[in-house]
Amino acid sequence: MNERIYVVDDEPAVLRAVGRLLASAGHAVAAFPSPLEFLDCYDATVPGCLVLDVAMPELDGLELQRRLKQNGTTLAIVFMSGHGDVPSSVRAMKAGAVDFLTKPFDDFELLGAVATGLERSRQAFRTRAEVDVLNQRLALLTGREREVFEHVVAGQLNKLIARDLGAAEKTVKVHRARVMYKMGAASLADLVRMAERMGIGPVS
Amino acid sequence: MSSNFPAPSAPLPRRIGSFLAGLNGERLGLTLHAALAAVLVALVYGASAKVGFAFTFQPRPISVVWLPNAILLAGLLLTPARAWWFVMLAVLPVHLAVELQSGVPSVMVLAWYVSNCSEALIGAALLRWLVRAPLNFNSLAHAGAFLVCGVGIAPLLSTFLDVGLVKFIGWGQGDFSDLVRMRFLSNALAALIVVPVIITWSTGALRALRDPTLPQRLEIFILFIGLLLTGTFVFESSGERLATGPALLYAPIPFLLWAAVRLGQKSVTLCLLLTFVLATWGAVHGHGPFVDGSAEENALSVQLFLIAVAAPFLLFSAVIAEHRRDRRAVAASEQRALTVFRAGPDAMAIVRLSDGAFIDVNDRWVEIFGFAREEALGRNPLALGMYVNPEAREAFISQTMRGGARNFEAELLDKGGNRHDTLLTSDRVDIGGTDCLVNVIRDITGQKEAEREARQQRLEVTHLSRVAVLGELSGALAHELNQPLTAILSNAQTAQRLIARDKLEVPELKEILEDITRENKRAGEVIRRLRAMFKKGEPQFIVLDLNDLMRDTLILAGGSLATRHVEVATTLCNHALSVRGDRVQLQQVLLNLIVNACEAMEAPGSARTLSLETTPLADGRVQVLVRDGGTGVPEPVMARLFDPFFTTKAQGLGLGLSISRSIVAAHGGELLARNNPDRGATFRILLPAHA
Repeated sequence: MNERIYVVDDEPAVLRAVGRLLASAGHAVAAFPSPLEFLDCYDATVPGCLVLDVAMPELDGLELQRRLKQNGTTLAIVFMSGHGDVPSSVRAMKAGAVDFLTKPFDDFELLGAVATGLERSRQAFRTRAEVDVLNQRLALLTGREREVFEHVVAGQLNKLIARDLGAAEKTVKVHRARVMYKMGAASLADLVRMAERMGIGPVS
Repeated sequence: MSSNFPAPSAPLPRRIGSFLAGLNGERLGLTLHAALAAVLVALVYGASAKVGFAFTFQPRPISVVWLPNAILLAGLLLTPARAWWFVMLAVLPVHLAVELQSGVPSVMVLAWYVSNCSEALIGAALLRWLVRAPLNFNSLAHAGAFLVCGVGIAPLLSTFLDVGLVKFIGWGQGDFSDLVRMRFLSNALAALIVVPVIITWSTGALRALRDPTLPQRLEIFILFIGLLLTGTFVFESSGERLATGPALLYAPIPFLLWAAVRLGQKSVTLCLLLTFVLATWGAVHGHGPFVDGSAEENALSVQLFLIAVAAPFLLFSAVIAEHRRDRRAVAASEQRALTVFRAGPDAMAIVRLSDGAFIDVNDRWVEIFGFAREEALGRNPLALGMYVNPEAREAFISQTMRGGARNFEAELLDKGGNRHDTLLTSDRVDIGGTDCLVNVIRDITGQKEAEREARQQRLEVTHLSRVAVLGELSGALAHELNQPLTAILSNAQTAQRLIARDKLEVPELKEILEDITRENKRAGEVIRRLRAMFKKGEPQFIVLDLNDLMRDTLILAGGSLATRHVEVATTLCNHALSVRGDRVQLQQVLLNLIVNACEAMEAPGSARTLSLETTPLADGRVQVLVRDGGTGVPEPVMARLFDPFFTTKAQGLGLGLSISRSIVAAHGGELLARNNPDRGATFRILLPAHA
């Protein structure tokens, strides 16, 4: 995977230096002096870590973080701040930031945070990739199969499902086998885990 | 000189006087004093008429000396003109009583009354008109006027009237010219002798009797005894000594001179009176030098002798008195001048121009500089080591030579070596033919010290307020420093990492080092500016560019503006705007206004735009505008905006704007504030442009 590190800071000297540091650690770095430019250019298809300055004139770091989260990003965010003001750092961390670095910071702090971020991003990326696959499989189910799927992951027995759906128990059995097959689930537990990942709740 | 007249303004006597004088007393000019004086005059008039009759050469109706007219004249001279009528009226019954007793026809008595009154009236009126002030014999002018009017004109005119009346009525005998001569001389002599005695003794008589010391009393006593004995010897001795008579007539003169030179008017008039009494007494009784001819010839001799002696002595003693008065005035003025010099509140010194040596110094000078007078006199200030800076003395002298030095500031040292801030004022004067400088030295050390302290305190407060503004900016300033520090650290560590992995290439190293250098300089700049702002010190006025100053200030405030999300619109004039001022203080004002603007825009509903503008004005001033997008300044706050210790902030001292205004004022400018028509407020700094 070609992961990317993005640096956004309106201060050119800092942008250059931080970019240089990250590059020296072997990362692929893209540096942006403005958050809007970054929004236009970043690649959402690969895992990555965003090193972001808090205070910027047109769009501040926290706002950018909010927007990215809205888009369901897999990017990890490491904040940099000229003054470690507590409310900002708390907000950032609560919204899922990896770290909140107070300028000036040591190289290992930044590189450590970025490494953590990348790991987290990779994780998120992997999770999302799996969910994508499951969703694709889910899309293959017929309407009836989908209904059966939802009942099954809710832990209902075939007989009960048949009565709920107004179908024969035998038919339900067939649907259930097809669901297991289409979703690629080895066991019922496997299927339940998939449902959880896709955010499909059991039918109450 | 106290008035010879009764005080008409004294309320009590006036009231009693008017009571005594009946209903219209006051309107008729009568006061108690005048009424009493009139009665007194009348009584003395009567008594003197009796005496006059005793000296009359019968059957001629004319006396050797006719005193009543002189008494009346003196009486009139001592009373206000509006009371004269009463004095003359009071004399009438006495006149009638006395004259009728002596067997004179009543028509003649009345005629004499008229002529007597006319003499006194003419004399008194002429003198009052000529002299204006109360008559005294202390001045030549008064004495001369009296001789001309009182002794000359008045007796002469009234004599013609008198003799005319005598002839008309046909009483008495004698040739017209003889009568005129005899009447004139007897009246003139009487006026000459009697009026001065009365006038001089009418004031200060009590003091003249009480004040003299024992030696003075002794002197007066000896004088009068001497004159009495001499006069008695000259005028009362019998015929056989007459061979030396004419020479003996001069014998009383030394005593008269003595009285005139040493004792004054009162004694002179008394001595003349004594001489007169002795001479006439002798003549009437057939003693002394005036017994050779007929009675009339003898009377004439006595009269002429006495007039010839009395008139010059009256004038002579007046001259002496004037001279004595002048001398006393000169002495008093010298005394005053000396007192002013010696005891004046400012130090003074008289310096000889040729060698700068002190000719005299006063008490205050001695007090300030600690040199004894004897030490200072004859030496010059440089020799005494008084000048901190000898060139200052050169400048002072040259300024004095150019027409006098005024408030020349100099630092002088006293004997103990202490510094004194002084203001020197000097004028070139000629003292007894020596070219001198009169120097007035005002010690303003205390004043200067107070000024220094006040200035120090002002600086202190200005500095405190500056530190307070910087305190408000501290977060932003930390940010301002952290940026370059971050860049430097990251660059340096990058290089270290690359070295460790042996991957460092020269072009990259070059870039890294360039960045480090630049950022280091940038951090240094911020610190340098900060240090200037934190520094305490005297303001240094230099020519500076307002645009430059604005840019500099924005570097300090920039971080603060960014973290507060304030957008700054800067419109700087496209050429340099030169003003003369202290960089730090003007920057303090700008920072203050910018920080205030930022705080103003924190209010909800504010537009976070700060506009800064520098423009030259047509009136030769330059203008800096700081406009915020806040909610504006409420009216009651606006009124007190620049008051010291007035603040709307919880943590504020309330000094920022007040100090800013005084800084701008010290630069000869103005700091103004007003609300914008749309939103927020604008602060205007107006400064005189440097040509």
